Amino acid sequence: MLTILKSGIQTCIQDLGRMGFRHLGVSQSGVLDQLAAKSANILLSNPKDTPVIEITVGLCQFKFNKPTNFAITGADLCAKLSGQALITGWRYHANEGDILTFATSKTGLRAYFAIQNGFSSLPSVMNSCSTDIQAGFGGLSGKALSDGDELDYAANSVLSSIGAALPEYTDTIRVIAGPHIDLLAKDKQQSVFEKSWQVLPQSNRMGVRLSSEIDLAHDLSIASQGVCPGTIQLPPNGEPIVLLNDCQTTGGYPIIGQVIEADLRLLSQLSAGQTCNFVAVDRAQALEATTQQLQHLAQLEIAVQHHNKKNT
Amino acid sequence: MTNNKIYILGERALVLEITQSNLSQYQQNKLFALHAWMREQKVFIDIVPAKTTITGYLMHSQDPEYWLDKMQDAWQNIEPESFEPTVHTILTHYGKHYGPDLQSVASLTGLSQSQIVELHSQCSYQVKFLGFLPGFAYLGDLHPQLHLPRLESPRTHVPKGSVAIAQDLTAVYPSESPGGWRLIGHTDTVLFNHNLDSPSILQPGDVVKFLPSTEGIC
Repeated sequence: MLTILKSGIQTCIQDLGRMGFRHLGVSQSGVLDQLAAKSANILLSNPKDTPVIEITVGLCQFKFNKPTNFAITGADLCAKLSGQALITGWRYHANEGDILTFATSKTGLRAYFAIQNGFSSLPSVMNSCSTDIQAGFGGLSGKALSDGDELDYAANSVLSSIGAALPEYTDTIRVIAGPHIDLLAKDKQQSVFEKSWQVLPQSNRMGVRLSSEIDLAHDLSIASQGVCPGTIQLPPNGEPIVLLNDCQTTGGYPIIGQVIEADLRLLSQLSAGQTCNFVAVDRAQALEATTQQLQHLAQLEIAVQHHNKKNT
Repeated sequence: MTNNKIYILGERALVLEITQSNLSQYQQNKLFALHAWMREQKVFIDIVPAKTTITGYLMHSQDPEYWLDKMQDAWQNIEPESFEPTVHTILTHYGKHYGPDLQSVASLTGLSQSQIVELHSQCSYQVKFLGFLPGFAYLGDLHPQLHLPRLESPRTHVPKGSVAIAQDLTAVYPSESPGGWRLIGHTDTVLFNHNLDSPSILQPGDVVKFLPSTEGIC
């Protein structure tokens, strides 16, 4: 068992998301920082879609009741194992009774905590273990983890430590222009890509809300259409919302852009008050960025296999 | 022939939009026939119909232009008659505590409560699309005499199973949630069960009829 001693702000079980049910109004859900979550699973030789724990802000505490190996990736939330500082992006071994804590950080928002072979007996809802907090299903009884919750896992013997260097988090976010950006005046269209955007406190797993000195307020209306994580909507108040994984499946605000899939991880790490910039790219550049990330993961997989062979 | 726009949103979402504010029944059925065609291609992770659009999310982002062309061709050639909807009957208790807004809807429309029940239950509706909540189906078109804006201040808790109206649409709340639609009745029919392989009873394009229960207002 893993006992959740302190659950923190919003600690929840996520995998790569719930696919194929959007036409029924079911959100995608799933980890916001896919590269981090997949790396954590690769470090443990788990299938890449194994459910992990997504930690937002930090301030949580877990107790291992059996020995196993685990990995932490994503933002550096100053994790410690029974008092000893851990490095983000590494695999470690925990003994029975060890306590894993996450503090907090000014530079990142979300960390991922995976354990070898994953958690057992998590129910699959519509082919996913992701917690959909709004709808109240998935994860552990459809809710974020709370104090005293327990997650079952199988005991594992010691694996030696290994770390992964992951691409850094930056504040430059690549965007493909959206179908309704032309409805804005030319100078306003340009300013979307020239000014910096500040993250507002109302941001959550449904979307990142942004504001800037530019006034993009409008009275345009469109018929609601399909939206997905990365869609940049512009509500009438002119403050864009970049939708994240828990977003609804349709939306009725003009779509000014779409954040490329490879850069969604960057958005997921922005806390309220931090700023970011949008840079316009085309589909070829987006595809190139995705390919680079896939190569990065493939290399990590080979390195971990090699390391495991050498050390057995 | 209908006017349409077709484009790629982001890396892999293909969007077909019919450029008019309301679809005719012919266009609506054509859109659902296209939905069925898209499912058969087995290249989309998700296909999301909305009011005047359909969005298909490709499994791979390698070749969206190719599929965009195929989708455009399919739209030109598809027969709306190829779409055959499933019909559902939803037993509904109207008024009293089941539909706490029935009385105010009556005074706002100048109709009696039983006239509202009659207008609401006499016609068949089509599931235009789902959204907002898992299993929340937007059903149209509501009788013009029943068109009212949403409540000025939404309720924080709308009970599961509430039958509601807003503008030219009607819907059943599949789960408890906040909501601004006017509640005129209630059904015990479970519309969404996340533990089922097919979790939603209502699918895009399905036809829905409301059957007034003898218990309730009439």
